[in-house]
Amino acid sequence: MTTAQGGTSAAVEARQLVKRYGVVTAVDGVSFLATRGEIFGFLGANGAGKTTTLRMLCGLLRPTSGMALIDGIDIQADPLAAKARLGYLDEEPFVHPHLTGREFLNFVADLYRMPRGQQREQRMARLLSLFDLAQKDGELIGGYSHGMRQKIGLASLLIREPSVLLLDEPTNGLDPRSARLVKDLLEELAARGTTVLLSTHILEVAQALCRRIAIIDRGHIVAIGTMDELRVQAGSEAANLEDLFLKLTAGPESREMIERLLES
Amino acid sequence: MAGPGALQVIVTSELLAFRNRALKRNPARLAAIGIILLFGAVVIGGGTFTVGATAGHFLTFAVDPLLAAAFTGLSLLMLVIGFPTVIASFFVGRDLLQLVVAPVRGRDIFVARLAIATSANLLISGILVAGVLGVGAGAGAPPVYYVLAALLIALQIVVMTCLQVILMTLILRWVPARLARDVAAGVAGLTGAALYVGWNLSLRQTFGRRGQADISNLTSLAQHIDWLPTAWPGHALTAAVEGSPAAALVWTLATVVLAVLLMATAELLYERTLLSGLGTFGGAAMVWRRRSERPVTPSRATGAGSPTIAIARKDWLGFRRDVRRLTRLLPALLLPLGYAAALSQPSRSLSGFWSNVALVTFLSMFMSSALASPSVPSERRGFQLLRMAPLTMWQLLRAKVFIALPPVVATMLVFSIAVAMTGKSGVPQSLELIVFGLWLAVGFVSISVSGGAIDPRFDVTDDRKAVGLVGTLAAIGGSLAFAVFSVGALAGFTFGAEAATGTANLGPIPSTPATGAMMILGGVLLIVAGVVLTAVLLWIANARLNSFEATIAST
Repeated sequence: MTTAQGGTSAAVEARQLVKRYGVVTAVDGVSFLATRGEIFGFLGANGAGKTTTLRMLCGLLRPTSGMALIDGIDIQADPLAAKARLGYLDEEPFVHPHLTGREFLNFVADLYRMPRGQQREQRMARLLSLFDLAQKDGELIGGYSHGMRQKIGLASLLIREPSVLLLDEPTNGLDPRSARLVKDLLEELAARGTTVLLSTHILEVAQALCRRIAIIDRGHIVAIGTMDELRVQAGSEAANLEDLFLKLTAGPESREMIERLLES
Repeated sequence: MAGPGALQVIVTSELLAFRNRALKRNPARLAAIGIILLFGAVVIGGGTFTVGATAGHFLTFAVDPLLAAAFTGLSLLMLVIGFPTVIASFFVGRDLLQLVVAPVRGRDIFVARLAIATSANLLISGILVAGVLGVGAGAGAPPVYYVLAALLIALQIVVMTCLQVILMTLILRWVPARLARDVAAGVAGLTGAALYVGWNLSLRQTFGRRGQADISNLTSLAQHIDWLPTAWPGHALTAAVEGSPAAALVWTLATVVLAVLLMATAELLYERTLLSGLGTFGGAAMVWRRRSERPVTPSRATGAGSPTIAIARKDWLGFRRDVRRLTRLLPALLLPLGYAAALSQPSRSLSGFWSNVALVTFLSMFMSSALASPSVPSERRGFQLLRMAPLTMWQLLRAKVFIALPPVVATMLVFSIAVAMTGKSGVPQSLELIVFGLWLAVGFVSISVSGGAIDPRFDVTDDRKAVGLVGTLAAIGGSLAFAVFSVGALAGFTFGAEAATGTANLGPIPSTPATGAMMILGGVLLIVAGVVLTAVLLWIANARLNSFEATIAST
């Protein structure tokens, strides 16, 4: 799978990623690979290291050691080329409250040097309409609800058609209709060759959308693969993703604790 | 057994939060802040004490006006500078929501917040303490003077804090909620600016060539304001110095009654307005809403988008719409203009040209500091968007310099032309001043942008706190050094050219072509030093932005 550039044909690759903050190791030797057109799930409890890993992959954090490759390009060695290919949506999107929705999309498009003109305008109009923001495109983002900010954040990624999407809880705060729209959209994008790395707490979403899933716990990948492969790794053949997740991340202990708390 | 009272719980939690914030800081930075504070206390406090002691000893007839003016002046300063702290303590913060939904009496919240809000005013009152103690020492006041001084200063702090709460509650009732904080900040800022300009103009009259260097203006001013309640503690202390216990008691009682009345009023109004304050300030940052949905006109521009222009345009739109930033900046901009106007009066000991050079330097430096320093930190969470974009930090710094430069250059050009015309300078000198001003603007803006990028505080929503101590020191120190280099270079070129033609008056130094050449060479070296300094600061800023990794909280 090695290319002429020395990278791999994988769209996203984490190679032994480590991130330390003083004596605390947030991510400890995480490795995985997502291929082109794949929706790859990334699951973990709060503080397990999901967001830190995603931020190393998109270049917001410098790994203590290891490599993050986007389309075979090391994001630390050639950040501009790698960043031009990817889009990252944070749990709380990075938006500018004093710009209107349309101005914000234009701002992002200019940042990525997208050609101006009719084509860009049409794409922007389609996206605003798709996310039900067409009527609000002249309002300042500061006045948007959380769900609307999430949608304008997604639109700002899609306007420039990145080949890799790193999404941290993209359905967070969305109403059921918008959440469904996002899920359908991600499937459509994957079918067209976009790679999606999806971090979520909603296990049903991960099970429905992702071909392969990685489960991270305390900075380590504890399981990785398709649902069937995860079942084999967990030794529970008929389990659903929630049971697998709880088993692999020591969930049953929490259940016992809850029962004991309620009994007392 | 009943637990601690609500008041105790709130105050303890605030103290714990303060302790945790302090412990989280870098020890080296804490030590630096401590040293600076100590140095400031010794220099400013010592200076004020000395002035007070001198006045108390030699100007016994002016003790009352001086104390009245000191209390009044410091009260106004507290009103302006302490206002943001009072707003933040009483009306802002999601922690207040927790207190409101908890079974806690409004009175307890008020008293707890009053204790916290007095911190800023307490700090400012340090100057007053030094001055009042100095007057007492100089006038040989009895021990009761010092006890009374401590009580009256504490009461004055409470009075001013309660006055600020009352003002804010009234603003919240009359002004639309979304504008409340900005109106309050604007009123406080304009008051401060007007005071500053008025003070400068007053000084010009007092110490100018046409006036006598005495304090008659100050004492006559104080006599006009001695009826103000803020002057009452001054009268009480004067009575104590003069050995009139009855008068001292009356003025002290009047001050106590005033403090109690204001506290009761503030508490009553606060309880009624607390929730509307939270509605205004507890949520997202205030922004202008567009009045109507204007039809969107598609952009006719073609070609690839430019990140630099995009950032500049975004900043311009954001700046125009963020009323909070505008209301804080506009009063600040009045200061240098007022200062310049006050100093560009006819009486000058320096020649017109060099006086204008000093003013252009000051104006440029002040404008750059106000506009350019917070330009990188003002990106806030949007900085992460820029870091993820295929764009270098050099491009970001360049964009920030471009957006801050036009207003600085425009103000400076208007000012240079105005002073050149009023001073009847010749065309060559006017051109020289304009070129010098342009050079300064580019340098100061670059240095100020670098200072903000060296130590940005992206989590902070207030531009005045957006640059950390290291960045502030880098910006101020760099700007001062650049100013010295630039003025030195200009002097080198100007006097060097005159020396080369043998027309310079250089005192003991002979006015010869060799001297002229040496001075011009010195000027060139100073220009190089200025360029190197700016480049080094920009380089450090670029490195710091590249290595930035911290999470930026949602603000």
